[in-house]
Amino acid sequence: MSELSIVGKRIPKIDAREKVTGRAVYAADIRMPGMLYGKVVRCWNYAHATVTKLDLSEAAKVPGVIKVLGPQDVTSNTYNSGVLDLMVSDEMRKMLGDIEDQPIFTDHVKHQADGICGIIAETEEAAERAAEKIIVEYEPLPVYLTAEESMKPDAVQFTPLKPGNKAFELPEPAFPGNAYGWGDVDEAMKKADVVVEDAFYVPKQKQCQMEPHAYVALYDDRGRLNCWTSTQMPKLVQTKLARLFELPMSRVKVNQTTVGGGFGARLGMVAEPQACAMAMAVPGKPVMIQYLREEDWVASESRHPGMYWMKMGFKKDGMPVAVDAHFTSYKGGYYTQGSGVAFTTGAWLAGMYKYGALRYRGDSYYTNQVPCGAYRGYGNPQTNFPLEQLIDRACNELGIDPVDWRIKWHKDVGDDGWCIGFKYPSCALTECLERGAQAIGWKEKRAKYSTQTGSKRRGIGVACMNHTSGAMPMLLEHTVVSVRLNEDASAEVILSCSDLGCGAHTALTQIAAETLGFPLEDVHLLTGNSDASGFDIGAHASRTTYVGGGAVKQACEDVKRQLFERASKHLGTPADQLEMKDKRIFIKNDPQQSVDIKTITTLGVINLPDPATGQPVGEPGQILGYASYFPPHNSPPFSACFVELEVDTETGEVKLLECLTAYDIGRAIHPPSVEGQLDGGVHHGLGNVLTEETYYDKKGLCLNSNFTDYKLLGPSDMPKLTNILVEQPDPYGPYGAKSCGEEGIVPPIGAAANAVYNAIGVQIKEAPITPEKILKAIKK
Amino acid sequence: MKTHSTTFFVNNKEYTLDIPVHRTLLQVLRDDLSMTDVKYGCGAGECGACTVLVDGDRPILSCLTLAVLMNGRKITTVAGLEKEGELHPVQEAFVEEGAIQCGYCTPGMVLKSVSILEKNPSPTEKDIRRGLEGNICRCTGYEKIVKAVQRASIALAASSPVKQKEGGKV
Repeated sequence: MSELSIVGKRIPKIDAREKVTGRAVYAADIRMPGMLYGKVVRCWNYAHATVTKLDLSEAAKVPGVIKVLGPQDVTSNTYNSGVLDLMVSDEMRKMLGDIEDQPIFTDHVKHQADGICGIIAETEEAAERAAEKIIVEYEPLPVYLTAEESMKPDAVQFTPLKPGNKAFELPEPAFPGNAYGWGDVDEAMKKADVVVEDAFYVPKQKQCQMEPHAYVALYDDRGRLNCWTSTQMPKLVQTKLARLFELPMSRVKVNQTTVGGGFGARLGMVAEPQACAMAMAVPGKPVMIQYLREEDWVASESRHPGMYWMKMGFKKDGMPVAVDAHFTSYKGGYYTQGSGVAFTTGAWLAGMYKYGALRYRGDSYYTNQVPCGAYRGYGNPQTNFPLEQLIDRACNELGIDPVDWRIKWHKDVGDDGWCIGFKYPSCALTECLERGAQAIGWKEKRAKYSTQTGSKRRGIGVACMNHTSGAMPMLLEHTVVSVRLNEDASAEVILSCSDLGCGAHTALTQIAAETLGFPLEDVHLLTGNSDASGFDIGAHASRTTYVGGGAVKQACEDVKRQLFERASKHLGTPADQLEMKDKRIFIKNDPQQSVDIKTITTLGVINLPDPATGQPVGEPGQILGYASYFPPHNSPPFSACFVELEVDTETGEVKLLECLTAYDIGRAIHPPSVEGQLDGGVHHGLGNVLTEETYYDKKGLCLNSNFTDYKLLGPSDMPKLTNILVEQPDPYGPYGAKSCGEEGIVPPIGAAANAVYNAIGVQIKEAPITPEKILKAIKK
Repeated sequence: MKTHSTTFFVNNKEYTLDIPVHRTLLQVLRDDLSMTDVKYGCGAGECGACTVLVDGDRPILSCLTLAVLMNGRKITTVAGLEKEGELHPVQEAFVEEGAIQCGYCTPGMVLKSVSILEKNPSPTEKDIRRGLEGNICRCTGYEKIVKAVQRASIALAASSPVKQKEGGKV
């Protein structure tokens, strides 16, 4: 590959200045003339109940109230706030059993804070006052907080569409025996010399993006529904809103505002349906909904918690002959992404190591908790916790070093990826493990920590991760990009890819500038406007740099091809004998013969006939490059993570010392963003394994919907973070890049759990590993 | 509704407003004065997104502060740090270090960092981390934010040698 001039450079992020000055506009920052305030009235005191009486009349009389909307006052169509159903074929959707079970306002409360009606008022305060005047009576129903409870035969049914409250299980036609994997697990397990087995609990973690959900909607005078939202997926939300309100897509416009963090919380819709339903009730008036933090917490999706049973069999030399696994997740009150995590949890398991046989079963049951949806890692954190711990338990029994085991048994180039039959095109995991172990002093520390005394015990642990760059071949992958050259030879790159803050737009701009051969300042990315841009999935599955970048590259190559064609005519030389540098195209072996790009683009736009001949001068037509890009692969990245920590065996407290991630990035398009993604992922991952869990009381009411009672690691809690970027360009990714959006979160989970195991000699089977659990385990 | 005539300065501009006594500074800045660079994150003093500086270098949580209590005070929001198009060295350092991701905590984080450096121009890494407690970032793991404060500390020292001498041992 020739030398790159912009890709790989540490440029300031393109959105940094507007953010550091406070000028970036988030949805709640929008101010419009005549803007009204919408409030969703929620059921706060019950997690499961039927609404037996709803009287809106007193609320409607409150001064400043414009309208009060009950379930009957809005469309009776239901929706699925997730978007997976838009990324599969009709047949697949039917087979998976994806359903739309969410009403705009409900009379069957399925989790605390389910919305029962809406208020539109002139001010937020008037809406609050009116909410107090809503007269509502409930008939409480039994509350189910685990799958074990809601699957009982006499349990109240959440929806007639899902008998037994089983929201999802891997469907028989595609997954014989409702299982994913290969080989005969029962037979293979019999041949194992060492078998390790356990049931683990994985936590209900909350994304905690710093910007609480907020929306503005306007049903305008042209009969168009406009929605300003920080969704991760503007084009799919456009489709969803069009279907819900039975409008053609040409009458729905989604304006993406600055996204104040996503992490999956905005993968699909949150309150766009409620905001739009309110806006349609007051045509011509914009309506803003802003969630309070506690509302955000209990009324928008979390990670899937659940019980994860796993059994692994090994030969004496460490060969993993069989893995049997079953993850039952607690779905929460609505289906949403029901078919997603139950599958991917097993997919990440399948993609990691060279098991002789694998049988993974995944299912999901409704519970009376906030629905579970997408959250960074999408099932991968759930798998990392049991898998990596069981491997270390087996290594301990077999007397094999955990790093050596992983180097020997991880999947590699040519092996099946997370989707069986879809082979890994690149893999630098061995190098990641070797360099990581070297850098952190693995062998020395393992030896040192094996002979500790006293109450402070140090431990060091390792874990690996495989993920993906986009969701193909399981889900649709498609991004449309158009690149328009202005007459002055600057470029407008038009697309719908989101930047959740991770630097995706910076990386895409670098790819565009690099491919065009233009300086960065000549390239502008036009995003956030569903009217202007073509199709895109949106930000999920760590796809934006890889798929969006591939699309940008292809569209820019199309531009370049057109420029070369025109230059070829201009210079009277075949295009393959031309080269471009500094925005000039010249003849390779006669560089004096050249044409300025600006000459071509100017003549393309401002093209007047020669007065003498009446013929055009140069070639008319504004240059427009285009790509409707379906990526050929999903080039999974890998990483190895090492965590060192200290356990106080008297208090059970864990002090984090270092977290080192060696990452198989392919190529880092914008290195500071890659590092930022890894650092931030580590923060979520260490939180997942050590401190973060949403707790409920017996009534199903959330006990910690705030930053005081839900423990996020603070600046002083974080360990020293080290990243090693291993760059071995992937054959499919743009400039060799693979993804890095979700992956940082995953292996710190297994590595920290294994470090605790290394420190105290006991494994904790329930995450988060709190001091109480550590003390209890030590006492046993 | 009881109101109180209140005069305060925001980013050196004087405002006199008749403010309902129950309204928070955050509500007044964001809703009444459209200063949307001040962010709502939790409304309960837990996340620091709404941080503003009072009388130069004292960080307060505007979501927990009644606006009428600001009578006579000088408030600085992140929009007030830029001088004649030049970013404040702390802002510059956040940009240079890549310490900004989603940007929602950034205004509060920058102001908190300014206050840390005002009190102690040469903080240790531990000082910085302790100083940033109370301001939550969910994107960065704090790593690049801490580095940005260190970078700003060096930049400020270079531009103001006297201050460094006085404050170096604090």
